[in-house]
Amino acid sequence: MHFDIELTAREDIPKWMGYATPVVTVLVALAVSAVAFVALGVSPISAYEAMFVSTLTTEFGLRETVIRAVPLALAGLAVYLPMKAQLWNIGAEGQLLIGATVGTWVGLNVALPAVALLPLMLVCAGVAGAAWAAVPAWLRARWNINEIITTLLLTFVAVDVKNFLVRGPMQAPTGSFAQTEILPANAQLPTLPWFNVHAGILVALAVVVVISLLINHTRLGYQITFIGANHQAAAQAGMNKRAVYVFVLVVGGALAGLAGISEISGVQTRLRAFFEPGYGYTAIPIALLGRNGAFRVLLAALFFAVIFVGGSSMGVTLGVPAAIVDVIQALIILFLITAEFFKSYSIDMTLRRRTDRPNTGRVGGDT
Amino acid sequence: MAGFLTGVIDATVNASTVLILAGLGELISERAGVLNLGVEGMMLVGALSGVVVTAITGSYWLGFGVAVLAGVAMSLIHAVLSVSLKSDQAVSGIMLTLLGTGLTTYFGNDWASESISGFPQRTLPFVGEYLVEIPVLGPALFRSTATDYLALALVPLVWLFLYRTNVGLELIAVGEDPETADTMGVDVFKMRYTAVALGGALAGAAGAHLSLGLIQLWSPGMTAGRGWIAVALVIFAQWRPERILLGAYLFGLFDALQLYSQSVDISLSAGSALGGAVNPILEFVLNPTIMSTYPYLATLIVLVVTVVRRNHEQSAEPAGLVQSYSRESD
Amino acid sequence: MDESPFLRMEGIYKEFPGAVANDHVDLTVRRGEVHGLLGENGAGKSTLMKILYGLYTADEGEIYLDGERLNLESPQDAIEVGIGMVHQHFMLIPRLSVAKNVVLGMREPADVFRDAPEVTGGDGAAGGGGGLLASLGTNRLLRTLASRFTLGLNGPETEIRRLADEYGFDVDVSATVRELDVGERQRVEILKALYRDVDLLVLDEPTAVLTPTEADRLFETLRRLTEQGLSIIFITHKLNEVEAITDRVTVLRDGHRVGTVETADVTRDDLARMMVGRDVLFEIDRSPAAIGDPVLDATAVHATDERGVEALSGIDLTVRAGEVVGVAGVSGNGQRELAEVTVGVRAPSAGDISIDGTDMTGQSPRAYVDNGVSFVPEDRHEYGCAGDLSLMHNAVMKEFPDGRFGDGLRFDYDAVKQYAERLVEEFDVRGVHDTEDVVANDLSGGNLQKFILAREIHRDPDLLVANQPTRGVDVGAIEFLRKRLLDQREQGTGVLLLSENLDEIFDLSDRILVIYEGEIVHETTPEKGDRERIGLEMNGASVDADGAETASEPDEQVPPVRAPPDHRRTAE
Repeated sequence: MHFDIELTAREDIPKWMGYATPVVTVLVALAVSAVAFVALGVSPISAYEAMFVSTLTTEFGLRETVIRAVPLALAGLAVYLPMKAQLWNIGAEGQLLIGATVGTWVGLNVALPAVALLPLMLVCAGVAGAAWAAVPAWLRARWNINEIITTLLLTFVAVDVKNFLVRGPMQAPTGSFAQTEILPANAQLPTLPWFNVHAGILVALAVVVVISLLINHTRLGYQITFIGANHQAAAQAGMNKRAVYVFVLVVGGALAGLAGISEISGVQTRLRAFFEPGYGYTAIPIALLGRNGAFRVLLAALFFAVIFVGGSSMGVTLGVPAAIVDVIQALIILFLITAEFFKSYSIDMTLRRRTDRPNTGRVGGDT
Repeated sequence: MAGFLTGVIDATVNASTVLILAGLGELISERAGVLNLGVEGMMLVGALSGVVVTAITGSYWLGFGVAVLAGVAMSLIHAVLSVSLKSDQAVSGIMLTLLGTGLTTYFGNDWASESISGFPQRTLPFVGEYLVEIPVLGPALFRSTATDYLALALVPLVWLFLYRTNVGLELIAVGEDPETADTMGVDVFKMRYTAVALGGALAGAAGAHLSLGLIQLWSPGMTAGRGWIAVALVIFAQWRPERILLGAYLFGLFDALQLYSQSVDISLSAGSALGGAVNPILEFVLNPTIMSTYPYLATLIVLVVTVVRRNHEQSAEPAGLVQSYSRESD
Repeated sequence: MDESPFLRMEGIYKEFPGAVANDHVDLTVRRGEVHGLLGENGAGKSTLMKILYGLYTADEGEIYLDGERLNLESPQDAIEVGIGMVHQHFMLIPRLSVAKNVVLGMREPADVFRDAPEVTGGDGAAGGGGGLLASLGTNRLLRTLASRFTLGLNGPETEIRRLADEYGFDVDVSATVRELDVGERQRVEILKALYRDVDLLVLDEPTAVLTPTEADRLFETLRRLTEQGLSIIFITHKLNEVEAITDRVTVLRDGHRVGTVETADVTRDDLARMMVGRDVLFEIDRSPAAIGDPVLDATAVHATDERGVEALSGIDLTVRAGEVVGVAGVSGNGQRELAEVTVGVRAPSAGDISIDGTDMTGQSPRAYVDNGVSFVPEDRHEYGCAGDLSLMHNAVMKEFPDGRFGDGLRFDYDAVKQYAERLVEEFDVRGVHDTEDVVANDLSGGNLQKFILAREIHRDPDLLVANQPTRGVDVGAIEFLRKRLLDQREQGTGVLLLSENLDEIFDLSDRILVIYEGEIVHETTPEKGDRERIGLEMNGASVDADGAETASEPDEQVPPVRAPPDHRRTAE
């Protein structure tokens, strides 16, 4: 007799699980994070109130949220697109930084009116980010070298490249701070009349729409989806897996580059050496939460923006370290992964004789 | 000149210990087939818990012990997620790094100003006095903290463990082909859990060495990416313990040179014809920020070269490393 | 050889959802005999042996070894009672040495802690091992620690060498398995079992990966093993092997035991008859073929499989428009590679492929698809569809570039959905309320296969390659699928049908080929073909133990010749 935990693969995923999962995950993560608040002697209620209520009910809070959502949405899509093809772009942060650096350089060194300069900056940032992702993309497509490791390694290289340039050739000659000059006015994204947010929001929204159209209304999007679902059947059907792999990673890199420059040009106005926002990493849970569509990615980005903005205002009003935001992020990922498991398997615990081992398929062929 | 060399070697050895500890831990985990990207977070947790316990109890050995346990605890989360729940190993690992970084920054602010006395620099018993006298190498290698010596001792121990014990054999088998290992009677789950736990323990130890041995204090984010370098190091070392040592010294050397290149002027005399061309290059290559990229670039190069040159069967990477670095080709 | 049974399996019953794998099967094996287990794929051989080896538990029935009832819950239990198995897919770790592979899991401690070879009763000090350590060696805690944290290879290596010498293989115990060829690896598998002191060895289709010469060596090894008293169960579907090596043979069919006979007393014809039996015939009317130009021309094609072993050894094959060419054969004789080569998924290592007269050798699958080739693969879930995607998505897996689904960049999912619905309707795919909602994995095997066939046929291909199209499909769907294949034939498509099912081959084909070990060994038509003859050919009847073909006229009856019970076969 043994105590047995039996996992049976579910035949049908109950429909409600598909919708409820992201919501429940978030709620559970918030609940567990409450413990961290209590540990510092802060009431979770006042903490979450500061985080959510004041963020969402003040004009300042809303504006900051929208502004923060811009790079998060772009970075989220930078991870989402390759994910559709079952590739992991873990290096979005590096691509973001490279895009920010190159875009800033263009903004500082090219004299053009804003109407030409801004698009040029965006394009250059996108190309730079794309180039940064191109090497891992090709290594994966050609030799099946895992993109998780290659994009990750290049992220750390990107940080150093950015630091080198900002402390070196790109450093502002006035003063000895590790930062560039302020971008001239024609290189800064203009502020929109509504809500005082910068034009980057338009770029982000446009990209959301484009990606959504790409995935849902084009042949290429169809192929990306199919290859992500079963690349072997896709190959047999004549689809070009390698080209698609390169495409999604390179475009992902471009989007991350856009995220980087939008943040510098729209918010920071200059590139500082310690610019390492971590949006590229937050992009991972955003893409996971929004895995079913570009608009859901946008929603997830807005949600995380609220958490970030709320987190820093919590730091100000309650003295709670902003690092709690990292903890909440991590817990969301943790519970998301766990929920994934429960979606696929139902658990029965029984007391019984050990039953058959599953057929591993290796031991002989037929029944 | 001798002083400069000793200084560089000393700095190299100092920088290497953290990498040896974390690298060996990651090697054990990956050899059993589990990729652990949470090393950075586990190191931070180890560093902070080490400082906290040492500050409270006054005993750095106790601090070290708790740090190791903290690393184990965190790694067990990874084990449950990746081994039992079969979740994506990469995502689980990154989540733990986020968690570790977030938790330690969140709770650690108060401890940043604590001064503690950690592991003292000691010479080895009996022979130590003589070894220290060796010119150039002596002071660098033979006056170190207990954790430095521990790291060095672990290299042959891990080697023996993997290649000369039955448990090590089973661990390697599990990482190569869990199905075969299972059929041969090896408990795959238990092996993987053990390997991951050992990886966590060593990551915690690495963090503790950092905060209790090398830099005797805590500051948020003090690992500064060393955990990631450790992951890269395992690939660079092609999963062999002896190469972890060499790689750690090499990466440590990059680290040390960063410190020193600012104080020493390594260049050809400005007047020479070659100087004009070579000096800017030298300056670039020895720039500390650029040097920070070398471990990652070196690893990338090794990774690509080994995959491209050998075919899949001859790769040094454990064949069963889930989310393996080179997936099945079509 | 001892007449009393050594192994007795009685009344073994094992059911899986949808099929009874073993229906009250009995099996007895005598000591020192080589007992063949013969049957087609799906007959139940593997299941029976997995039960014997502890991987499965029988629903009913008992197993007795040497008179003692066994309760096997894992392979470790089986090994402990002395039952060893050599799997078809080797359980070896290429990176490790032969010695390490052999001792893996046994926790052999370092030599100082090992028992001396001839330690008697309580006299621990006698023999090797060293006095103090030998007595320490009996301490339980120390033994556990030693077995975990040491690894003694010297003793085992010596023992392995001894075993290898005894049975006539030569093996370098310190070589890594990676360096060994297939035959050598198999010998390591056997050594693993011998090292664990098995009394009964089960070999699962061992010659599937061996050349004829290697197979001979294997047979010699097996004979030596039985001379030493080992009992062997030899699973196969190849009649020539049964004759070459077995003393007795048990034939399974459809989960039943058909009979057990002394090999010397039967002919291959007898065995084939026992194996194949007669099925219910699906009578389908077939109009005479209207045959056109060749749509597929395979010339002298060689190909290697996933493992690098040659799977096709010189195939010449032509399929014309409007004709169905049926290739009969037992799975594993090259059908998969043949299918892959004709649709561009695998490049031939030698030879040419042309489609519609154009040379397509080595081109991408895309080129084949564009040239009018359709494919219904053997494994519908792995290669035939994306299980998690909707039927709507799966419907246009190959047709999506077509203009009717949208101009330029735009992809018109409405048109796609309509197309999917048409497929569902025309091919009577059941269980679909909405092609957008229902995913491929939701469908039953038969319905999914109907859907896949619908998709492939609707393209109006020039060449349709179908590999085991009705495997795992319910009876109602089978008839439907076969009828549609014939319809397509009338539309002028050339069909290459690969199937294990002789009735299917006879019903549908205009020409019949038989494939065995990567070669076409026989060609005939449904009218002239003799089922029993074909059954024999499928199982290697015309190929004797040395791999040479026995000379014969295509449709002449070969007079049965009794197989002499000794090692060498004389040519017929």
